[in-house]
Amino acid sequence: MNGSDGGTCVLRARGLRKEYGKNGGLVRAVNSVDLDVTAGETVAVMGPSGCGKSTLLYLLGGLDRPTAGEISLGGQRLDQMSERGLARLRRDAVGFVFQAFHLMDELTAVENVELPALLAGRPPGAARKRATELLDRVGLADRAKFLPTALSGGQRQRVAIARALVAEPQVVLADEPTGNLDSAATVEVLRLFDQLHAAGQTLVIVTHDPRVAATADRMISMRDGAFTDQTTLRGGTTGRLGTLAGLEG
Amino acid sequence: MGKIVLVARLAFRDIRRHKAQAVLLLLAITAATTTLALGLALNGVTNHPYLQTRALTNGPDLVAGYGVRLGVSGPGSGPTAVSAAQVQADTRTLTHLSGVTGYSGPYPVASVIMRARGLTVPVQAEGRGQAPAAVDQPKLTAGSWVRPGGVVIERTFAEALGVGVGDRVTLDGRPFTVAGIAVTAAAAPYPNCEDTNCMFTGPEMGPRAASTLSTLNVGLAWVTEADARAMASPRAPLSYILNLKLKDPATAPAVANRFLSADGGPGGAIAQGIDSINTWQDISTAAGQLVQDEQGVLRAGALLAVLLAVASVAVLAGGRMAERTRRVGLLKAVGSTPGLVAAVLVAENLAVALAAAVAGLVIGWAAAPLITNPGAGLVGTAGTPAITPATIGLTVGVALAVALASTLVPAVRAARSSTVSALADSPRPPRRRASLIALSARLPVPLLLGIRMAAGRLRRAVLGAASIAVTSAGIVAVLAFRATVGRDLGQGAGRIGDPVVTRDTQMLLVVTIVLVALAVLNAVCTAWATVLDYRRSAALARALGASPRQVSAGVAWAQVLPAVPGTLLGIPLGLALFLAADGGGQVTIPAVWWLAATVIGTLAAVAVLASIPAQIGTRRSSAQVLQAETA
Amino acid sequence: MQQEAVLALLAKEPTYGYQLRARLQQALGPVGDTMNAGQIYVTLSRLEKAGQVTCERDPGLPDRPDRKVYSLTPAGQQRVALWLADVSWPGPGLAEFHLKLIAAAAAGLADPITIIDAQRRELLRQLRDVQRAAMAEPDGSEAAPLLEGIALRLQADLAWLEACEQNWTNRKRSGS
Repeated sequence: MNGSDGGTCVLRARGLRKEYGKNGGLVRAVNSVDLDVTAGETVAVMGPSGCGKSTLLYLLGGLDRPTAGEISLGGQRLDQMSERGLARLRRDAVGFVFQAFHLMDELTAVENVELPALLAGRPPGAARKRATELLDRVGLADRAKFLPTALSGGQRQRVAIARALVAEPQVVLADEPTGNLDSAATVEVLRLFDQLHAAGQTLVIVTHDPRVAATADRMISMRDGAFTDQTTLRGGTTGRLGTLAGLEG
Repeated sequence: MGKIVLVARLAFRDIRRHKAQAVLLLLAITAATTTLALGLALNGVTNHPYLQTRALTNGPDLVAGYGVRLGVSGPGSGPTAVSAAQVQADTRTLTHLSGVTGYSGPYPVASVIMRARGLTVPVQAEGRGQAPAAVDQPKLTAGSWVRPGGVVIERTFAEALGVGVGDRVTLDGRPFTVAGIAVTAAAAPYPNCEDTNCMFTGPEMGPRAASTLSTLNVGLAWVTEADARAMASPRAPLSYILNLKLKDPATAPAVANRFLSADGGPGGAIAQGIDSINTWQDISTAAGQLVQDEQGVLRAGALLAVLLAVASVAVLAGGRMAERTRRVGLLKAVGSTPGLVAAVLVAENLAVALAAAVAGLVIGWAAAPLITNPGAGLVGTAGTPAITPATIGLTVGVALAVALASTLVPAVRAARSSTVSALADSPRPPRRRASLIALSARLPVPLLLGIRMAAGRLRRAVLGAASIAVTSAGIVAVLAFRATVGRDLGQGAGRIGDPVVTRDTQMLLVVTIVLVALAVLNAVCTAWATVLDYRRSAALARALGASPRQVSAGVAWAQVLPAVPGTLLGIPLGLALFLAADGGGQVTIPAVWWLAATVIGTLAAVAVLASIPAQIGTRRSSAQVLQAETA
Repeated sequence: MQQEAVLALLAKEPTYGYQLRARLQQALGPVGDTMNAGQIYVTLSRLEKAGQVTCERDPGLPDRPDRKVYSLTPAGQQRVALWLADVSWPGPGLAEFHLKLIAAAAAGLADPITIIDAQRRELLRQLRDVQRAAMAEPDGSEAAPLLEGIALRLQADLAWLEACEQNWTNRKRSGS
């Protein structure tokens, strides 16, 4: 499954496999997956629950180690990296957005956003400045000093997205980013993803929500740990909006 | 009735499910109860062996020492001999006291310096005849009785010197051979001989004694009468010892009182020349000094152990409570009253505490003979100390109190919590401390993580600091003891062992080991609880780019940081503890570098112990932890 | 009665009229109860006139539509092939797509999963269009609820496609 246009390949996986258990109880969560993601692309991976898409995402982000196969991010091989190297990667090159937000409840919004920068060893002043900028970019500048418990679901996820952007990552990986959100909050987040895409950010989103998948440039179907289908969503449609709404055309 | 059965069933099932925690709890409380049981078992163990020795040697009811006036014309003046006529008169007075049924002596006593195996020690050499005495015939445990040129040495003294039968020693410069080793009930065993009858009249005990002698404690030995008289000199005149037997031994203190002057010193109503009168009760007490000191140490140790156990159990209980919120919610949702819920939670700990009390009593009962050995100076063992109902009651009571005190608060809080939130199993969020968060932002990553973790669970951090303070206090008390003893023993060439000190040191060592073991347990428990609490934050930190080493270093820092004030606080605490146990004597502050080593060593140990659960905790891939929340 | 559906049901082999009817009833279940019994024969005769179906009379049987044997002509086969590949939406309704899948599976003409995937791709493209249009609308635009409605229906259809996929995957697994 190759990338659609030319352009630099940011993320690349070959023969990726992740297995749990052994012999009779072997579970293939990810079964021989090949993937290329070019810079600036938004890729959506869709599939029913339990198909292994979250596992795949965690493998791509270096949060988990594959049983077999290679992964390259920005030219570096993840599967051969040490834990320290992976940690460095996670703070410099990859941004994660989780379904459950995973914000620290005892930190304010801006403290949550600056955390990866602090972990990377950047000076506190610079980290704070960058965090404030990003909160402004996601439209939450007035809520910087709020605790997560004082924010709505959509706002919390936007804070999480800002946190993922702190290190100017090469790719943002999102695991069911709208899973815990109602439809209004989902629209907020989708709008944000759209803005990021327009700014050239590479996104890989795992979801079972078609609205989220529809925002992508490329949609990949996944079932039982393997890719089954791929679509480029850019470009023409066969129906017109009028027909969809019941107007005779 | 049904409710009790239900509570019991729920409690036991839960213990079975969390075996490791139950074992940790058991260990913590058992250590405390064992120490307590040992301390209690030592009560009243002193008299038994002394009575056996008294029976074997036909020990005296009263021992009178006279014939010499010490420092009468003011301090610094030497002893003056009393005239022979006075001695005879005193003897007659004493032997004609009402109630006296028998006597032996007066025996001449020479104060000499003995050189043995490179050691120089002051000795009181009592002159005896070949024939057995009517009262106080020392019992030989090795060799034979006195002969010309042969000296019999009191057993504890001989052990301290390291001499045996056949060794060559010099007394007052003359060569002697050790003819035998014996025990007596007429004086307390070395080094407490002085407390009863050993008075050293020689000049060597002056101000420069410490530099010439290996010890300032006087030892007891027997020689022939002729040898004793030969060793007397104007500088070190002979004194005399008279052993008396009374019709009613219990009246000995009353009789002795008649010899005391108004201010309690010698030279009272009856005889002017009597320098000292000791009853057999006095000697018995002095003989039991060894065990009494041990008791004091054990009691202090038990107190510290109990404190540490409380801290450990509180941490464990707090950690377990966090996991139990959902279970509490279930119980309440199906209709349990908050009271029942709290009862179940407390019952588990009480059951474990009960088992720990029993274990502590058994171990204490088994180990007591090892430490109640009254020392070489008395014949006979102390016998198995009786486990009185009082001991059992107190030990069990303390164990239950420990369990109750540390689990009651969390149990009540858990039971009162809202059912809905308990079912949702949202763990108690960490407290926010803005200043610490801001401060930690400027520090390196492990410190950043560690400070935030410790600040979030402040109660646990305080408990950890308190435990370290208690442990550190114990160690500092031992150091102070050694420093004080070291000063007392003098700098003579070759150190002679002081049995009391040796036993005390051994006892202190045992207590310290128990404390350290408890502290290790405590540190591991705290670290484990911290790892559990911060599993999600740690996984998230790793997802955001912290390396595993940084995270486990953070967990270690979260414990080391509170431990710093803990160890420092332990220093004054330990010194105060030593003062209290020593009975308000003087305390020598241990050398600075020993204290520094204690502080650094404790902190290092805490860091290492904390990193063990941290390593194990971070082994679980963070992906699994984070995903588990979204499932 | 959808003509293509009837054609597709004939694709596998020549079939008796009554067999065709039984097949349809089985596929539609209670949804087909409102269908007129004779509807299918009307459709069959129209198809015969259009030259996409031929029918034969079995010599020993009465001359009734349900006893005749129907089969596809090459023109009919071509029409079926075009129909299977057509992804325009919304078509005449759920029943048609449902029959498409059943017919394709029964005749071995195509894998239902492939058809579902193809349809889903198309729907996603349309959803994308609608979402873009919705986001481009200014706040408070009057057309916003209409766009929202289209998007919601597309989502519903996509959810149904997923259910179909699940169903057909299970049937494939259990070998039916």
